[in-house]
Amino acid sequence: MSTALKDLIRNPTIAELELVARFAALKADARRERLFEAFAQTGLPGRRIEGWRWTDFKAAVTSLDALKAAPVRDPLAQAGVATLRFTPAGYTAPATLPAGLKLLAKDDVQAMGGAEEAPLGALAAALSGGKTPGTLLVDVSAGAPVHLHMVFEGPGAINSARIVFLLRPGAELHVSESHLGGAALSTALVEFTLNKGARLHRTVYQIGGAGEAQAVTAIIEQDAGAESVLTTLAFGAKVARLETRLVHRETGSKATINAAYLAGAGLQADITTHVRHGAPSCVTRQLTKGAVLDGGRGVFQGKFHVPRTSGQQTDASMQHNALLLEEGAEVFAKPELEILADDVQCAHGNTSGALDAAQLFYLRQRGIPLTQARAMLTEAFIAQALEGAGDLEDALRAEAQAWLNHAA
Amino acid sequence: MDCCGGMDEHDETCTEVKVKEGIDAGTVAAAKRLESENYSAGFVTDIEMEFAPKGLSESTVRFISAKKGEPEWLLEWRLDAYRRWLTMEEPVWARVNYPKIDYQAFYYYAAPKNAAKYKSIDEVPKEILDTYAKLGIPLREAEVLLGVEGAAETAATAREKPRIAVDAVFDSVSVATTFREELKKAGVIFMSISEAVHEYPDLVRKYLGTVVPATDNYFATLNTAVFSDGTFVYVPKGVRCPMELSTYFRMNAESTGQFERTLIIADEGAYVSYLEGCTAPMRDENQLHAAVVELVALDDAEIKYSTVQNWWPGDEDGKGGIYNFVTKRGDCRGARSKISWTQVETGSAITWKYPSCVLRGDDSVGEFYSIAVTNGRQQADTGTKMIHLGKRTKSRIISKGISAGKSDNTYRGLVSIHKKAEGARNFTQCDSLLIGDKCGAHTVPYIENRRADAQLEHEATTTKLSEDQLFYVRQRGIGEEQAVALLVNGFVRDVLQELPMEFAVEAQKLLEVSLEGSVG
Repeated sequence: MSTALKDLIRNPTIAELELVARFAALKADARRERLFEAFAQTGLPGRRIEGWRWTDFKAAVTSLDALKAAPVRDPLAQAGVATLRFTPAGYTAPATLPAGLKLLAKDDVQAMGGAEEAPLGALAAALSGGKTPGTLLVDVSAGAPVHLHMVFEGPGAINSARIVFLLRPGAELHVSESHLGGAALSTALVEFTLNKGARLHRTVYQIGGAGEAQAVTAIIEQDAGAESVLTTLAFGAKVARLETRLVHRETGSKATINAAYLAGAGLQADITTHVRHGAPSCVTRQLTKGAVLDGGRGVFQGKFHVPRTSGQQTDASMQHNALLLEEGAEVFAKPELEILADDVQCAHGNTSGALDAAQLFYLRQRGIPLTQARAMLTEAFIAQALEGAGDLEDALRAEAQAWLNHAA
Repeated sequence: MDCCGGMDEHDETCTEVKVKEGIDAGTVAAAKRLESENYSAGFVTDIEMEFAPKGLSESTVRFISAKKGEPEWLLEWRLDAYRRWLTMEEPVWARVNYPKIDYQAFYYYAAPKNAAKYKSIDEVPKEILDTYAKLGIPLREAEVLLGVEGAAETAATAREKPRIAVDAVFDSVSVATTFREELKKAGVIFMSISEAVHEYPDLVRKYLGTVVPATDNYFATLNTAVFSDGTFVYVPKGVRCPMELSTYFRMNAESTGQFERTLIIADEGAYVSYLEGCTAPMRDENQLHAAVVELVALDDAEIKYSTVQNWWPGDEDGKGGIYNFVTKRGDCRGARSKISWTQVETGSAITWKYPSCVLRGDDSVGEFYSIAVTNGRQQADTGTKMIHLGKRTKSRIISKGISAGKSDNTYRGLVSIHKKAEGARNFTQCDSLLIGDKCGAHTVPYIENRRADAQLEHEATTTKLSEDQLFYVRQRGIGEEQAVALLVNGFVRDVLQELPMEFAVEAQKLLEVSLEGSVG
């Protein structure tokens, strides 16, 4: 390894040195280098960096030894839906793809906008290649809705993947992603460009072990009249960050960004979003719900950025509600607004607390045991955030239900 | 100055402000009245001054300490702070932009000549008395008394015009403190901190630096090293301070920084209401103001701290103005104690200020009520921190930001519930209003909850129950804001209306504002 590479990260940890070595082993490429440099500015981000104060990858990822994790069931697997599979060992795609969908595996690495703002996304992009394509392009053309499923799973040391979607004008994509962990560090970067009038339904399921670090970074750019409906259910990991960066590029674009997190003992789930209203008259609706047990931590960081002039007539609302189901649970939130245009509506709300004692009492007097009453109320509380998942709503709800029954 | 956070350039040629439909005309007019061209406190007092050598070094620190004849421990404390400050970095996280400050370009001590402390009001130079009179702050007790005990005075007007004891700080020194004798009869100590160091060294030593330690942050550490004067208040056990106390800060000399230190202690069961006002002349240069305020409330004590901050904001092009980098913190040390901050912020080129409450005592209460108006090229990054440590602690945050011109106004707040804060409760509401399309309003709340039985509400209610409660109170004809106050803190208050007349001029004008049409 050259000294220049070693010096990329200031005071690197053992894990960061391992990442530098992995990068050095890949085919040299100017774009890859730029992406790795974007990551190296922070290294594994930690609490000293504003956006990562509650989600400390630097402290959590101590080494990158391969884990021997048992396979995890994938609740979003559906018969008849084409599935792309990403593991530390490589990538597989089905022989036949649905009509309207084209895959293009490119050897070289494509540039990534805003790499500095998403260091773990940049890392995923910089480490793609070798066993996986440098960039996997997915082209979706207009016509009947296209369904696609993607699985990210171990076992192994590092699982990094990058997928770039292009939704042509009027195209409709239903994509589901199961991030099942199994590697010491899993980082996925998924990018979507929605051309005029395109529609995206993205459903994300995330689960991870108490010894794993996971990052899922989504970058979404929307043209005129495009619409996205995003639904996430996260169970966390030692550290798990699910970050969505969305830009309304043209007038009339709409986004619904919903997420639910359920974090048990020793697990942390971080839902972070950044929405830029870069064009007039765009709409964002955001709802995040969470429930946390003793020893768990939930993090919500939301930001609406409304630029001067271009952000006029923005209509955006952000809501985060969390339940601390037991003493010892932690919920940290930062619902942020940055508004530079005067004719806009931006609302944000944040609450956290315990279940309503009156509601619990009501159920108990109907003869429902306390544990079951708690599970029922929590499920009802979470459910609203999963409503946008369409056909997959039931599968997500069943997972939430199982977790709650187990927690009770 | 980069007043839009580097996002988009302003159109320099466009001067017309289009105001969005639905925004109250009275609010626009109230904000307009606060533009820098209407700044009435911008005059300079011509008086012979004595300065410390320009710049900052250990010898400056020693010079200030020697000027005040301070004991050894205080000098050591200052020097420790200075040495630490040299190793610290100026914070950059606030949403403000300003050119790098040259800390060697200021005078760290400026006092009217021969002004160790005037023994009686008659010795205070006429120029200074005139200055305060012009600002509406009468220092002569006789005049004040006349105002109160005049023949036509009725009980009702006496209540409307309560007496106020004033500590007047002129650049680096306190020049007069009124009503001291009368306050002494009640056992209340009210004097400049330099005097208190000599007269009540044990009290000062016991509390100074216990709320805002010398190591707290860059500006607080700088203040610790070079603080020149400020106010000391001690209200003994069970005493309700018989009058409002206030300090009026005036920066006059050119190229000076003002670094005052205020320490207020309310002993068990005591109550005190304290106000501060600040103005400065119009100058083209930027002046630095880095104050530290420490409040200590013991069991059952209550401190009400109000600020009308109207430092020179700089002209409409952003030239000149005060850099207001202030650390204010109250420690609710005792059970059932209460600290409430009220601030009306209209001045300063840059504001960096987060009056906070450490709710240590069980059942203690913290409040923050703020109206911040920015105009021209002003940048304000202000808010509060409520640190809940004790059981059943409660806090309420109401912040209203109004941005006009090409200004930026940021609310930044932290609500932190610690593991032992059983049954803690917070309610936060922050509204922003933009007047015109060249300004910005930003909200950066941090909410950290480590207690399942805590109830935290930021512009939203957690449970159906709270909605029902709110509905119940509202249907009795009580406005939403007051209803929230009732539910969260158990009583109704409107701090602004309680501000004494002398300080209420701006505040009263601002009371007319409505946040109808706010953006978020």
